[in-house]
Amino acid sequence: MSARKETMTKILTKHFDEPNLHELETYQKFGGYEGLKKALGLKPAEVTAEVKKSNLRGLGGAGFSTGMKWETVPPKDKLPGPRYVVANADESEPGCFKDRVLITKSPHSILEGILIAAYAIGAEDGFIFIRGEYAVQHKILSEAIAEAERANLIGKDILGSGFSCRISLMRGAGAYICGLDTALLETMEGKKAWPRQPPPFPTVRGLMNQPTVVNNVETLAMLPHILKDGSEAFAKIGVAKTGGTGVFSISGDVENPGIYEFPMGTPLRKMIEAAGGMKGGRALKCVIPGGASTPPLTASEIDVPMDFESLRGLGTFLGAGGVMVLDETRNMLETAHNIERFLAHESCGQCTPCREGSEWTTRILERIMSGEGVKDDIPNLQRVGENITGKVICALGDTVGMVVRGFMKKFPEDFSAKIPVKNGNQ
Amino acid sequence: MNAISSQEKNPKAAVFSSEEEKILHSWTKAYPHPIMGLLEAMRQVQTWHLCVRPEDEEYLADLFKTTRAHVHQVATFFPFFTQKKTGRKRIGLCHGLSCAMAGSDKMAELLEKKLRVKEFETTPDGEFSWEEMECLGACEHAPALIVNEELKGKATENLINEIAA
Repeated sequence: MSARKETMTKILTKHFDEPNLHELETYQKFGGYEGLKKALGLKPAEVTAEVKKSNLRGLGGAGFSTGMKWETVPPKDKLPGPRYVVANADESEPGCFKDRVLITKSPHSILEGILIAAYAIGAEDGFIFIRGEYAVQHKILSEAIAEAERANLIGKDILGSGFSCRISLMRGAGAYICGLDTALLETMEGKKAWPRQPPPFPTVRGLMNQPTVVNNVETLAMLPHILKDGSEAFAKIGVAKTGGTGVFSISGDVENPGIYEFPMGTPLRKMIEAAGGMKGGRALKCVIPGGASTPPLTASEIDVPMDFESLRGLGTFLGAGGVMVLDETRNMLETAHNIERFLAHESCGQCTPCREGSEWTTRILERIMSGEGVKDDIPNLQRVGENITGKVICALGDTVGMVVRGFMKKFPEDFSAKIPVKNGNQ
Repeated sequence: MNAISSQEKNPKAAVFSSEEEKILHSWTKAYPHPIMGLLEAMRQVQTWHLCVRPEDEEYLADLFKTTRAHVHQVATFFPFFTQKKTGRKRIGLCHGLSCAMAGSDKMAELLEKKLRVKEFETTPDGEFSWEEMECLGACEHAPALIVNEELKGKATENLINEIAA
């Protein structure tokens, strides 16, 4: 019975066992592009209303209502000129790899999602910004685009509806910050990836200063199902404020790392069990619930339902669903250092608190790890963190301060144990 | 001032073949605005020359009707673009959290030992270079290894020996 329920609550990964799902014919056999056809029979505003009713929220990490985001695109008489849809496939958050698998298995669901979004906001140009390291996925997408063009699903007068839309691909060049919408748009404009300070938000002034909707590829891939099966069915699967499912990347000390799809609000404990449980039967120490930039949870907190609100209640975030599981043998000082080193490397350098603070944090952590830490290091880490979060343009900087404080709060003994008594530790 | 402008007007000594120029030019037409093709054109240059040289930057600045300073900013911001030649096979080893937990450090040592060059250095025959990279989005294959942006899977001694053979 439980197996039957599981297949019922799978949306995106339901047919992932089909070897040729990446091909148009197979995708259509399972109802592919039916959602687009449905959308084309509605008025654009009706499509947006349907998406809003489904309670679909941005699955790239921000968790903002997708329908509400689209609604903020100004009407053409107020702000004329082209509109754009950008699929964010720059997945770079440590712990997240679901977008890579989604693109590999089902590229057409992303293309269909872009077309639905484009129709709803009146765009004739869609883009997929994909990280360069996904060379295989870039090829898969470019083949899928060519296939869809031949079938008149992309291009001029799609299926005789009068709606036209192109889709083009663009590759990133190895910078994590491009995953942030405004940094991504700067990069698409041929500039270094410095985030913009909103407002205006991209839906008003985005790519080349025109209204632009940037959605994560997983979010877009949900759209065909919402249109095909209705917003009510989708909303019913999740929790009150978040509809549908999420595809979670589970890695670290579990027996079977991989991607797993669950209804929103599924307890974290169940997810770890689904991934085969703890590796080697060792005890759980810590879970990072949403990717490296989300503060950690302890073993006693894993009954939390995995949805945006529940995790906020525990001082962390659902992020992009990158669940990293750490067992009893892991040291949290080293873990925090790995993440802070990553953030220091990826800080774009625009805001001083983040550029300097991420380096200081990393170096203080290194000093403690080397056994040369002093008593003041811990309050200093706290202080530096407090002086970054909320004082920078983008979420990367906020994260620098949040991650180290999160680890110190939940696992203080791993930090203080490394500071020698001769340096003032009691 | 005359000296500078005449220098600027110097015909670019064959930085690219006419075939290559055609490809680079096509990137100015690929998107709704020419400048949007800059990153892809630069990517093309990086794969041909294994780095972006000052003369490449100048060429791209001309091609995209922008300043050399702008092109240099882009070339030095993104880790994929290098100012020093990488190996023809550029090996990337992930050291993100899941990969570090799976022993990426040991694999880095193995790479250094096998290729006999330090991180970011290139073997004397120009064939290989290696570097630790931030999360490659392949945490289920930890520690993940890529060659020229293509995921090869979980790094093991065997895989490294195979690639470096």
